[in-house]
Amino acid sequence: MLTASPRNMAIALAAAAAFVIVAALVASGLGAASERVLSVFFISLIAVVGIGIYSGNSGVLSFGHLSFMAVGAYVSALLTLPAAMKAATLPKLPAWLAATELGLFPAILVAIVVTCAFALVVGLAVGRLDGSAATIATLGLLIITHGVIIGWRDVTRGSGTFFGVPRETSLWVAAGWCIAALVVARLYRDSVSGLRLRASRENAIAAGAVGVDMKRERLISWILSAAVMAVSGALIAHFLGAFSPKKFYFVDTFQLLAMLIVGGMTTVTGAVTGAVTITVVTEVLRRFESGFDIGAFTVPQVFGTTQIGIALIILFAMFRKAEGLAGLKEWEERVFTRRGAEKTAATLPAVSDRSALTAEHMTMRFGGLTAVNDVSVTLRPGEIVGLIGPNGSGKTTLLNMLSGVLEPTEGTSRLGETKLDGLPTHRIAELGIARTFQNIRLFPSLTVEQNVLVAGLSTGSGEDARARAEAALARLGVAGHADKDAGTFSYGDQRRIEIARALACQPKLLFLDEPAAGMNREETDALMETLRGLTRELGIGILLVDHDLKLINSLCDRILVLNEGRLIASGAPAEIRRDPAVIEAYLGTSQTQDDPAEPGHQPTEENDP
Amino acid sequence: MKRLALTTALATLGMISPALAETLKVGVATAQTGGLATYDAPVIEGVHIAVDEINEAGGIGGNMPIELLEKDVRSDAAQTAIAVQELVDEGVSVLVLPCDADPSLAAMGIVSGAMIPAISTCASSPTLPMVGGEYMFANFPGDNVQATVSAEWAWEQGMKTGYILYSPDTQYTTLPLYFAEVFDALGGEMLGQDTYSIGQQDFSAIVTRIASLDPQPDVIMTAAYEPDFPSFLNALRAAGVTSQVIGSDGIDSPTTFSLGAPAEGLVFTTAGYAAEGSPLAEFNAKYEDVTGAPSQTVFNAVGYDLVKVIEAATEAAGSTDPQAIRDALANLEGVQGATSVITYKGTDGMPVREVSMIRVKEGERELVGQPSPTAELIPAPRMQ
Repeated sequence: MLTASPRNMAIALAAAAAFVIVAALVASGLGAASERVLSVFFISLIAVVGIGIYSGNSGVLSFGHLSFMAVGAYVSALLTLPAAMKAATLPKLPAWLAATELGLFPAILVAIVVTCAFALVVGLAVGRLDGSAATIATLGLLIITHGVIIGWRDVTRGSGTFFGVPRETSLWVAAGWCIAALVVARLYRDSVSGLRLRASRENAIAAGAVGVDMKRERLISWILSAAVMAVSGALIAHFLGAFSPKKFYFVDTFQLLAMLIVGGMTTVTGAVTGAVTITVVTEVLRRFESGFDIGAFTVPQVFGTTQIGIALIILFAMFRKAEGLAGLKEWEERVFTRRGAEKTAATLPAVSDRSALTAEHMTMRFGGLTAVNDVSVTLRPGEIVGLIGPNGSGKTTLLNMLSGVLEPTEGTSRLGETKLDGLPTHRIAELGIARTFQNIRLFPSLTVEQNVLVAGLSTGSGEDARARAEAALARLGVAGHADKDAGTFSYGDQRRIEIARALACQPKLLFLDEPAAGMNREETDALMETLRGLTRELGIGILLVDHDLKLINSLCDRILVLNEGRLIASGAPAEIRRDPAVIEAYLGTSQTQDDPAEPGHQPTEENDP
Repeated sequence: MKRLALTTALATLGMISPALAETLKVGVATAQTGGLATYDAPVIEGVHIAVDEINEAGGIGGNMPIELLEKDVRSDAAQTAIAVQELVDEGVSVLVLPCDADPSLAAMGIVSGAMIPAISTCASSPTLPMVGGEYMFANFPGDNVQATVSAEWAWEQGMKTGYILYSPDTQYTTLPLYFAEVFDALGGEMLGQDTYSIGQQDFSAIVTRIASLDPQPDVIMTAAYEPDFPSFLNALRAAGVTSQVIGSDGIDSPTTFSLGAPAEGLVFTTAGYAAEGSPLAEFNAKYEDVTGAPSQTVFNAVGYDLVKVIEAATEAAGSTDPQAIRDALANLEGVQGATSVITYKGTDGMPVREVSMIRVKEGERELVGQPSPTAELIPAPRMQ
């Protein structure tokens, strides 16, 4: 299923195919040398797009993708190598392989299958790691694969040249597969899995909180990108006819990554831009480096000009266009802006399951510090519960435990009869607990609509996701912002978008961490009305953390008060206002109706769990 | 390129005197940057010296100047294929390819299709011309030739038993297998063989095995190079093994001469030796004259050899027709280069060249001899 407009997608795919076909037609008119330059360009572009499918969408830079290219090259070459050549150069091959002699197309298909199986095994291991650890693991993958290919002499001829491969990669074969790779990459980016993965790239914690299983999406894109790399490897093997393990090592890794990074990692447009830029600059400079005449001057032959030129482009890109020449959007996303806000008839269904959240003896220790100490709470659909306490009293930590972001040191929680202990955040979101964050965690470079849509797609089996997303945007009054990037809005708007996103998960219970922070009085009042509507009309239960006591007092059915990690009071607002422990611990000695904390005050010590 | 096409057009119209009309276009697609530049760059220096020398004298045969069309392939196989295609399109008569089998073989599809002879600057694997086909030639003593020279020398010295140490990691480090084959054919007895991994460095197990042999082998042959060779040699001598050790051109480096006592008496084969009055000494003097600095590597002279071979083949062919040049090249005999007299006749593209045998004596280089191997003894190249 596609998350982008079908019209835009059709334009993008047609343009990609047209680009490849026109380039191929021009090159075939210019002669054999141009055909070869373009064939190599197409094969490189397939690889760049392949790395982009994983690295661009997940945000994890991979140095290891050329191992998949190597597997694709060797597997396909072993299948197409003439049987007589195998008998002469690889006498120790198993009989069934020695006798096999396939055409290029079936060999590529087999290479894709084998590479995907390899990627699955590796991906299960690499997928357990995050950030730079994952990147370093991919570097290890490159080195290990290289070592295995060198060591497996009976099959690969070791570090020696693997030769005799039929040269079947013609310009049009390369062009055909290049179109296929561009289409696959573009479709994946705007598929449900691609959107979820991009959300997790923008903010992993928030993606989990709206139901995205980041590990699964990463694995899908890892395997898909491995398949594309296998095609690239098979094509280069059958273009060169002779290759060795060093073709799939650091030098080519950095060359392809340079294309991807210069162009922009996150889009297919970027991959194409980078590959075109570097290829064009290389082709122009390399014609000058053999020396030439300008009038009376003779410019001498200086080899190495090409590399210097490419290095300068990379430097320029890093300084002036850190996100790549193409930026963060596909070209057609810029050119064809989508439809404006529509009046939506969609509404969010009311909560039908009335099971309550029960948490007992929740305790969280960070080293010697006990942030939350033996707190028990219950939250039922349809009620609004305020959670207050001085800065550092453990409010956010408690929310993080209840939503699965933190695993409690002690204590147990359940929703109805379902135990929540140890469940990952995306499973908890799926069970009906959605939340917002004290320090806003939107997916800044996704549009508002995509922010909310990804929540709908990742919960409730994705049913009616678009309707839920539209209804949630409408309810929070941000439907007019749908087509703009979430990161471009004011603080108050971002808060509303974040609530809409949580709402699109169709939750039974909603945790809001300082939703009114950064809003003025009118905005806060409007928000109060919205929240009341959620409980009255939809039956959602809300757990609300805020420093705005006016908001808390007028909105909440019950208030829980934390101090130094302990629950010191709980009850109706009127009781809490009279509770001596609260007055002493939280309000100080003078009892006032007003907010002792400043509006919009940002406690820093609670920013992160 | 347009200018060249025009020149050719004018020449065919007879508007330029025919004696000056013909230029031999040599396409040079070598690695001037990247990992292979270490080898290709000095070879091309030597190529330039030879081409300038020939052109100053009016060209090949006094009337056919050489024009070099040079492209940097950046040590990449795909770039080599592209550059070679461009050079073929420009109508070159001879091609010069990089020092490594990968890029050379990647270009061979185009070269064979265009039927133009191609010479690798310095690849030494004897399988290269076999795999590359009838248009592929090498320009360096083949591994099997070096091994034949050292085996024959050992046999002549009265050594009857041998032992080899090789690594299957690269084609080059399997050179001792050729040695064993020749030594065996001569009547010698191989007492055993061991394998190692490149970069292994710990040779205690292998050395113990050799030391426990009774009687000890007369000769131990290996193509190991740094850092493996010094480790192996030190361990071997420390274990009390006194057998003659023979190495190959991979250890022709300053390290070998600084090893002290363990290296004393060590013999190895290499491409050339600049004896006083020899062509190599003459070349080195010319090199210093042209560049202002002494030649640092024998690869400069190997580049000079390459052009001498092209010159001789073109002269024998009597034209710039690629097919005629190929046929002439394949039948060249006794071409005097800087490092050696070079013969292609009777081989399948791998030159027969003199190999210099060097002995380490008190940390200095001593020439043992420059024997030409007996052609019948040279083993057939191994694909594996």
